[in-house]
Amino acid sequence: MAERSIARPNYAAGVLAGIWLVIVAMPVVWMISWAVQRRSEYLANGPLALPRNVTFGNVQAVIAAGFTKYMVNSAIVTVASIVLTLVLALPAAYAIVRSREWLAGTVFRMFLLGLAIPAQATIIPVYWILTRLGLYDTLTGIVLPTVAFGLPLVILILAGSLRDVSGELYEAMTVDGAGPLRAFFRLTLPLSRGAITTVAIFSGLNAWNGFIFPLILTQSPEKRVATLGLWDFQQEYGVDVPMLMTAVLLSALPVLFLYLFARRWLVAGLAGVGGK
Amino acid sequence: MTTPAHISRRSLLGLAGLGAGALTLGTAGCGSGGQGASNAAAGIDVWCLKDDVQNKIQQAAIDRFNATAKAKAKITAYDNDPYKQKLRIAMGSPQQPDVFFNWGGGSIRQYVQNDLLADLTPMLNGDPAFKAKFIPSVLDAGKIGDKYYGIPNRGMQPVIMFYSQQALDKAKVSAPPATWSELLSQVDRFKAAGITPFALAGSQAWTLLMWLEYLVDRIGGPAVFGGIAAGDRNGWRDPAITQALNAIIDLVKRGGFDSNFASVNYDGDVGAGTLFAQGKAAMHLMGSWEYTAQLDQHPAFVKDALRSAAFPAFEGGKGDAKAVVGNPTNYFSVTKRSRNVDSAKEFLKAMASDAYVDDWIANGDVPAITGLESKIAQSKDAQFGSFVYKMVQDASSFQLSWDQAIENKYAQPMLTNLQKVFLGQLDAKGFVDAMVALP
Amino acid sequence: MTTQTTGFQGGAPPSALSGQRRGPAPAAPGRASRPGSAYVLPATLFFLAFAVVPVIGVFVLSFTSWQGLGDPTFIGLDNWRRLVSDPGVLAATGTTFLLTALSWATQTPLAIAVGVWAAGRQRNRAVLSTIYFLPLLLSSGAIAIAWRAIVDPNFGIAKYLGPFIGFPDGNIIGNPKSALYVIVFVLIWQFVPFHSLIYQAAARNIPAMLYDAATIDGATRWHAFWFVTLPQLKNTIITSSTIMIVGSLTYFETILLLTQGGPGDATVTLPYLMYQGAFNNYEMGFAATVAAVIVVLGTLVSLLIVRFSGFGRMRSTLEGL
Repeated sequence: MAERSIARPNYAAGVLAGIWLVIVAMPVVWMISWAVQRRSEYLANGPLALPRNVTFGNVQAVIAAGFTKYMVNSAIVTVASIVLTLVLALPAAYAIVRSREWLAGTVFRMFLLGLAIPAQATIIPVYWILTRLGLYDTLTGIVLPTVAFGLPLVILILAGSLRDVSGELYEAMTVDGAGPLRAFFRLTLPLSRGAITTVAIFSGLNAWNGFIFPLILTQSPEKRVATLGLWDFQQEYGVDVPMLMTAVLLSALPVLFLYLFARRWLVAGLAGVGGK
Repeated sequence: MTTPAHISRRSLLGLAGLGAGALTLGTAGCGSGGQGASNAAAGIDVWCLKDDVQNKIQQAAIDRFNATAKAKAKITAYDNDPYKQKLRIAMGSPQQPDVFFNWGGGSIRQYVQNDLLADLTPMLNGDPAFKAKFIPSVLDAGKIGDKYYGIPNRGMQPVIMFYSQQALDKAKVSAPPATWSELLSQVDRFKAAGITPFALAGSQAWTLLMWLEYLVDRIGGPAVFGGIAAGDRNGWRDPAITQALNAIIDLVKRGGFDSNFASVNYDGDVGAGTLFAQGKAAMHLMGSWEYTAQLDQHPAFVKDALRSAAFPAFEGGKGDAKAVVGNPTNYFSVTKRSRNVDSAKEFLKAMASDAYVDDWIANGDVPAITGLESKIAQSKDAQFGSFVYKMVQDASSFQLSWDQAIENKYAQPMLTNLQKVFLGQLDAKGFVDAMVALP
Repeated sequence: MTTQTTGFQGGAPPSALSGQRRGPAPAAPGRASRPGSAYVLPATLFFLAFAVVPVIGVFVLSFTSWQGLGDPTFIGLDNWRRLVSDPGVLAATGTTFLLTALSWATQTPLAIAVGVWAAGRQRNRAVLSTIYFLPLLLSSGAIAIAWRAIVDPNFGIAKYLGPFIGFPDGNIIGNPKSALYVIVFVLIWQFVPFHSLIYQAAARNIPAMLYDAATIDGATRWHAFWFVTLPQLKNTIITSSTIMIVGSLTYFETILLLTQGGPGDATVTLPYLMYQGAFNNYEMGFAATVAAVIVVLGTLVSLLIVRFSGFGRMRSTLEGL
C-alpha cells in the first residue's frame, strides 16, 4: 500500500509541471512567432497573433545589418578564450594535484578564494589596465579578463578530475622513464578528456555570453560581439521587433547546435557556468 | 639526463608564445591612437550619433571630402546613450576619434579641461568668411571660456510642441495652447475625446526634462538654470523651479500623459512617436528631430496632421514666451591627439559647403547658417523649416538642454529625481532638497 | 634515468625552493616524477595580472577622484564618507538585498521542484525537461532584450496580460512598485533552468536504496521528499544558493537592458549604481568605492556560506560537476 503511494502517478506535480512549462515555453514561442513575421504584420496584428505568412526575410535583414560579423567576433573571442584557458589551467591543475611544492598548494588556495571574486565589480580597474596596455577596443582585451575570472572554477573542476588518475599509473610511467611532462601528455591529458571538454564548453559559453567586458572594453563596430550587437539592434531597431527577435534567436544558434549534438557535454559545461 | 627539464622549459616558452599570439589578436585594427607626425593613412575617424537619415548627409559630405583629400574620413556611429559613454571611455584611452559630434557646453568641458581638444579659434579668426557663415549666437554657444572648440555643422534643434491637426479636429480644439491654463483646459477636452493629450516616452528621463526646461524658462527666465549650470546648487531653491515642478505634478494628475508613460520607449517606432502618429496622442513635446524621424517612418502623418507650435506662455511668468530650449545645434570638435589635426580641420571646413547645407535643408533640417530664408522657403519642408528658422532667430535666448549643460555627475541624479516627480514619488520640495543635497 | 622534481633545472638559476632538493634524485620504487612549480606559474601570473590586481585596484581607486580622463588623484577617505552618507547608496543597498532575498526565495524551491521532478526517469519528463532547459540557450543580454519586447505596454504582451494581474494599462515595467518584480521574474525565467539542472543531476545520484527503505517504513511521497530527497540534496542546495546569492549581489545586465535602474531609482542595485557612477556620471573613484563594497559583500557572503556549511563539502560538490 505504501509502495503504491510513491509509484502512483503524481497528478499535483503534473499540473505544476504543466504551469511551469507554459511559463518557460511561452516567451520562446513568442520570440519564434515574432521572428518569422513581417514587421508590418506584427504591428498590425499585435503580439499574440500567430504569423499568417511565415517569412525568413528577417534573417536576411539581420545579416545585412552586419550581425554575422558580430557572430564571427564572438566566435573568435570564444575560441581564443577556450584555448588560453586550457593552456593556462591544464598545467596548473596538473601541478596542483601532483606537485609537492608549497607554491602549488598556495596557488590552489588562491584560486579557491578567487571563486568568490565578483568579476563585474572589477570592471573599472580592468578598463584602466587594458587602456594602459593599449588593448582597449581589441578582441584580446575581452579575452584576457574573461579568461582570468573563469580560471578559478576551471582549475577547481580540472583538479577534481585529475585527482581521479591513480598514483600507480604515474609510478608505472616513472618506472618506464617518463618525466613529469611526458606523464602530463601521455597520461593526464588522455585520462581527463571528459573534464577538459566540460571546462572548454564552460569557458566557451562564458565568453560567448559575456556582456559587461565587451560593453566597456570595445567601441568600434568592427570589434563588436554578438551580445553587444543585440543591444545595438535594440537601440536602433527597437522599431523592428521581428528583426530583433531574429537576431536574438540567431545568437543562440551555436549553443542550440551544441545542445542537439553534444547535450551531455553542454549540460556538464553549463553546470560550470553558474560559478561565475 | 636533463632532457625532461629542457622539454618542460621549451614547452613553457611555447605556452608563453601562444599567450603572446593571443595578445596580438585584434590589435592590428586599432584606430588612430598615438601622437606623432601627420599620417594620412590613419585617416580621419568621425564619430557621430547613429541616425539613418542624417548620416546619409554626413556620408555624402565625407564622400565629397574623400574624393580629393589624402587622409580619408570615415564615420563611426552610435546610438544616443551609448554614444556619450563610448566617447567618454575612448577619450580616456589612447584610441580617440579624430573628429567627434557633441552638444557643446558640459558635453565637452571636461575634455577641454584635460587638454584633449584642438583650439579652433585660430582657424575661425583666420578665415572671416568661414566664420561669418554661422549664426553668431549658435557659434558662440560652442565656446568654452573664450575659445572655440566646436563648429556648428548640424541642424538647429529647438524643442517644439508638435501637434496632430487631426487629433485637434477630433477633440474640437481650434489651436494648440498659447498659455498654460489653455493647455490644462485642453487636457480635459482631449481626454473626453478619448485621446491622450501628450505622448511621453517616460522610460527615458530626458524626454521628461523638456517639460521642466520650458516651464522654468517661461516662469523664471533663462537665468534660473543659468546659475545652476554655472555651479550654484542653491539655484535649485529658486521659486520658479518649485512652481514649474508643481505645474508638472498638476499636469500628471490631470491625466496629461498616458498612465503607463513610464513604460513607453522613445527609441524606435514601438514608442511615443508611433503612438503620436497613430493618433493615440494629440501632442508631443520633442526636439525638432522628431520631424525628420516622423518623415522617415510615418510620411503620411507628417503630410496630413503633423504641425508645430511654440511652448505655451505661463501666466504671470517672467520668461519670454519666444525663448527656446533644446540643442542650439550639434558641434564637431577635433581631438588634439589626432594624427591628422590639419586634415580634420579641413574636413570641418568642407562640411560647411553649400552642398552640405542644401542636403540638410532638403532633409527638413535647418542648419545654423546665416541667410537661409529664401533657400528654406523653397524647400519641400518649407513650412516646418521656416517655422524653426524663425523660431530660433526670434528667440531671446536658446538654452542648451540641461542634461548637456550641467556637470556630468549631476545629470543622472537630476534625471532620476525628475522621473520620481513624474511618478509621484517626490514632491517639488523633495526634488529641490535632493538636488541641493547632492555631493 | 633520473627524476626531476622541479621544472627549474638545466641552466635555470637555482631558486630557494629547489635548493633543498639540489641535484637529481635517484628513481626510487614507489615514487613517481612530480611536476614543479613552473606548471602553475603561467596561470598564477595571469590570474594575478587580470583578476587580483583589478580587485586591489578597486580598493586603491576608492581613495581617488578620477573622471576617466587623465590620471586618478588621491583624495583620502572622501568617497567613503560620501558612501555612508549618500541616500542613494542606502536605497540601492536595500534594493540589492531585496532582489537577492526574493531571487533566492523564489528560485530555490522552484529549482528543487523542477530538478527533482525532471530527475524522474519517465519518458514524458525527459521530453518536457528538454523544453525546461531552453532558456539556457540564450545569453542574459538576449533574454533581457526579448523581455523588453514582452513587457512593452502598447505593443507587447503586457498590454494583454496586464489586466489579468492588476495592471489594466500594462504599465508593469514602468511602475516603481512592480518594476523590481519584473526583474525578479525575468531572473527566475533565466536562472531556474540552470539550477534545476544541478538539482536534477544531484537527485539522480540519490541511491534508490534510500527510497526503498523509506517505502518499507510506510513513508508517503511527501515524507520521502522531505526526509530522503531534501537531506540528500543538502550540499547541492548550498552550492546552488551560493551561486544564486553571489550572483544576485553582483549581477546587473538585466537591469541595464530592461529598466536602466528606473523608473526613478526603483531598480537601482549596488552593481548598477557602480555602473552608472562609472560610465554615466564618470565618477570612477566613487564608483570604485561602491565596487569595493560589492567585492567585500560578495566575497564575505560566499565565504560565510561555505564556512557555515563546511568548506570541503562545497569543494567536493563543485568538483563533482
